[in-house]
Amino acid sequence: MAFYVLKRLLAIAAILAVMSVLIFLITQILPGNVAQVIAGQFASPETVAAVAHRLGLDQPLLVQYWRWASGILGGDLGVSLVMERPVAPVLFHALGNSALLAALSFVFVVLVGIGLGILAAIRHGGILDHCASIFTYVGISVPEFFWGIVLILVFARYLDWLPSGGAAAWGEGLGPWISHLVLPAATLTFTLIAHVSRLTRSSMIETLRSQYVRNARAKGLPERVVLLRHALRNALLPTITVLAIDVGWLIGGVVVVEAVFAYPGIGRLLIFAIQHHDLPLIQASILVIAAIYCLANLIADLLYAYFNPKIRYGRASA
Amino acid sequence: MAEPLLAISDLSLTYETPRGALQALDGVSLAVEAGEAVAVVGESGSGKSSVALAIMGLLGREAMLSGSIRFEGRELTGLDAKARRELRGRAIGMVFQDPFTSLNPSLTIGEQVAEPLVYGRDLRRSAALARAIAALGEVGLANPAALVTAYPHQLSGGMQQRVLIAAAVIAGPRLLVLDEPTTALDVTVEAQILDLLDGLRRDRRLGMLFITHNLGVVNRIADRVCVLYAGRVVELGSREEVLGSPAHPYTKGLLASLPRLSLGERGRRIAPIPGRFPDLTDPPAGCIFAPRCPFVEERCRAETQPLLELAGSRAVRCWKSGALGAWPAPGPPRAATHPLPAQGSAPLVAAQTLSKLYQRGRAGGGLAWSRRLGVLPWPRLRSEIVRAVDRLSLAVGRGEVVGLVGESGSGKSTLGRIMLRLVEPSSGRILFDGADITALPQKALAGLRKRAQIIFQNPDSSLNPRRRVGEAIGRAVVLHADGRVPDLRARVERLLDRVGLPPAYYDRYPHQLSGGEKQRVGIARALATGPRFIVCDEPVSALDVSVQATILNLLGDIRDELGVSYLFISHDLSVVAHIADRIAVMYSGRICEMGTAEAVLAPPYHPYTEALLSAAPTPIPGAQRRQRVRLRGDSAPAAAERAGCPFHSRCPRKLGAICETMEPPLLEPRPGHSIACHLPLAELARVPPVIPAEPCARACGGFDPS
Repeated sequence: MAFYVLKRLLAIAAILAVMSVLIFLITQILPGNVAQVIAGQFASPETVAAVAHRLGLDQPLLVQYWRWASGILGGDLGVSLVMERPVAPVLFHALGNSALLAALSFVFVVLVGIGLGILAAIRHGGILDHCASIFTYVGISVPEFFWGIVLILVFARYLDWLPSGGAAAWGEGLGPWISHLVLPAATLTFTLIAHVSRLTRSSMIETLRSQYVRNARAKGLPERVVLLRHALRNALLPTITVLAIDVGWLIGGVVVVEAVFAYPGIGRLLIFAIQHHDLPLIQASILVIAAIYCLANLIADLLYAYFNPKIRYGRASA
Repeated sequence: MAEPLLAISDLSLTYETPRGALQALDGVSLAVEAGEAVAVVGESGSGKSSVALAIMGLLGREAMLSGSIRFEGRELTGLDAKARRELRGRAIGMVFQDPFTSLNPSLTIGEQVAEPLVYGRDLRRSAALARAIAALGEVGLANPAALVTAYPHQLSGGMQQRVLIAAAVIAGPRLLVLDEPTTALDVTVEAQILDLLDGLRRDRRLGMLFITHNLGVVNRIADRVCVLYAGRVVELGSREEVLGSPAHPYTKGLLASLPRLSLGERGRRIAPIPGRFPDLTDPPAGCIFAPRCPFVEERCRAETQPLLELAGSRAVRCWKSGALGAWPAPGPPRAATHPLPAQGSAPLVAAQTLSKLYQRGRAGGGLAWSRRLGVLPWPRLRSEIVRAVDRLSLAVGRGEVVGLVGESGSGKSTLGRIMLRLVEPSSGRILFDGADITALPQKALAGLRKRAQIIFQNPDSSLNPRRRVGEAIGRAVVLHADGRVPDLRARVERLLDRVGLPPAYYDRYPHQLSGGEKQRVGIARALATGPRFIVCDEPVSALDVSVQATILNLLGDIRDELGVSYLFISHDLSVVAHIADRIAVMYSGRICEMGTAEAVLAPPYHPYTEALLSAAPTPIPGAQRRQRVRLRGDSAPAAAERAGCPFHSRCPRKLGAICETMEPPLLEPRPGHSIACHLPLAELARVPPVIPAEPCARACGGFDPS
């Protein structure tokens, strides 16, 4: 097991190294010129060149990459060109906000999505199943920014129950803090719940038809035990894999939703950085996002192994 | 008279289907006394599993049930769900067919066995676990305390079935319902499980309802037998009565269609039950068996048959059961059998010291460290080499049928596929018609594919469901023809006719065919290229007994007519003994005995052959059989223990260290008959024959061979 984790961590390091090269190259190809942006639209070519020289932009690509990559390895994410502040604190502050939003959404997705899927599977063919099915179709087929706008219109504009955007600091009290999170989290959750509950439903239905569930019933176990102990454990295996993939989706969703709700997270930071051509900020943001995605998949695989003894004990490796 | 343990009367079960009501069970009545084993016998679709699920109260909501099921005098139908659930496990236990899928892969053995006590008897977990260890010991598992923490995938099939039985009896039920509990197991393991069940029945005075399709198993375990056909009880009586002198035509037919493990029966055509299983949404008027019955009269088609009481506890659903003759002998006898090639003539296909090795990770093996480039420590997952086929030589002559018998995992299918180059061998040579085809590139194999074909076990999965029957066969014709085939349809229809299907089947889809008809299509497809050699990989294992007989007859006829050679792979020794000229017995990748069918079925035996023969259940009541040879354990040796004779870990006649270390020599009692064993030939020859020399004439359902 320890060997497996070690192997996976090494693989993640390799992936991140490749990613760093890709990110660096892509940001180089981006149209526009940072020095020009910083110096201002009407600066003379000499001023632009001076700015470029000060930032090291006139050096060969390899040297620039090396400076950047070695900085990261030493824990230095670079300095934001536009804000003229180190990237790390800015990034981690935004990341904290986003993580809060994503974590809240993720918990929602897991609880509601899996719960809804199980209920639909147990009441397979009933009214609840049909309602859940319609809900999930709508959820999957409409993009999340649409739901964001609908929610803002209904809850912020007409009902005026919740703020339409921004975030509150801890110091302002629990009420405002939560009220700023509700709408973005709900928007993020909507599509994913649909996704997760559909998958859980079909996997649960299949498991409930299996021989071992029938055997558990023949042993006279209470239905609650049959469902939770025998069926759910096995039915959740595919869901766990998909949840890890959904983390990627969630990160993509965070970018969109933060833009819609003007929420100060990493998504908004990334858009800001791209708009202002702030290369170090772009590079660091994307690298951090990639790292999070890799780790989420590792955690999912470990959970999968925990739930599936066949993997835990080797053997099925032929 | 006291009320029996279980009394089912007039049980009917109906399902609503788009095509109308499907009558799965119709007026089934039977009783089980405490300490008695009642077998419910039937083919697929007979409704035998529905009876079991109805007793357990596990039928789906869509099932409409009428009639009465009384357990210890208490009516079960109409009981609320909670009361039914509380009976399950505690009063009525159940064991299902496939042990692997019936155990939850993510719970330990201990948890699964102890469960009924924890949730049913409110025992504390530790106390329940202690009882589970005792129960695992009671079902004959070695080292039960260690097993408790194991997971199902770490156990062999026989061990898994024992675990299921332990879980079914741990809460002390009075009735045990068993749904084909040994069908998924090898014969030697099946015999062990049947012994175990018999012991449990005696020790605990368990009533048993034993559901099976296998009349040999019935003969071994049952006191009374209930024969089901199309949801109706057609015959009911004691084991001796039903198997010894069957009264209903269907029972006679079932017994007649079984291939027999006796030398006198070899080569004879088996008498099948003609026709198709009836459509239960639109059953035939009158007697349900009338369309397939050779004794049918006008009255049979006009009147619905009641279950008639005969003397004793016997009942039969046939008005003329007293006046029936023997089951009619099968159609025209075989055409002149192709003469066997003379000794020494070149074989058609020959495998020479073939090996196939697989590498797989070892369970709990952990890490092994090796050095790379002399200095770098390099971690590697420990793995083991599995020898699926181990330096094995086998030849199939022209027009010869070589039967390959062995248990699951013995490598017989792998060998069959290697001989067709469908699987690449690790080492060794394959000769086809004298030419070495071992190293031919895939592109050059077209000629081989035309002359060598395969018939698969499961016709359901080997036919493309979206392709018409005619297209499936036609494709095989076209692929191997050089250019366009002019009258393709006519050729395909000739092939359909050859395998006994009407030409109209050209336009049918596989799902419109029965299992036997699908297998006929599979045979037609294999014949499409005019092959000289066909690997038959368990071609009748997935079929019902009555259908199996027709397919065996067909394969025999084709061989006689076209002079094709077969490598006939099967786990069922009686099927192989019926069709094969020579038999090779395979164990753990090696051939332990090979020779003509007559030589292999008579002493001297290899100890494994002897065990196989003695474990094979026969449906002849009272037939004098020797004490069964008991094998230790239930699985082939792990890769690490493989040295010497592969059978040493289970052999009841093991000599000692020599069997574990030295490879056994090849003994030749007669030319062409070889046994790989350390025991001296004289001692092997002293073993009395397992099969009675003279088959019991009475047992063939009154069928007189002369």
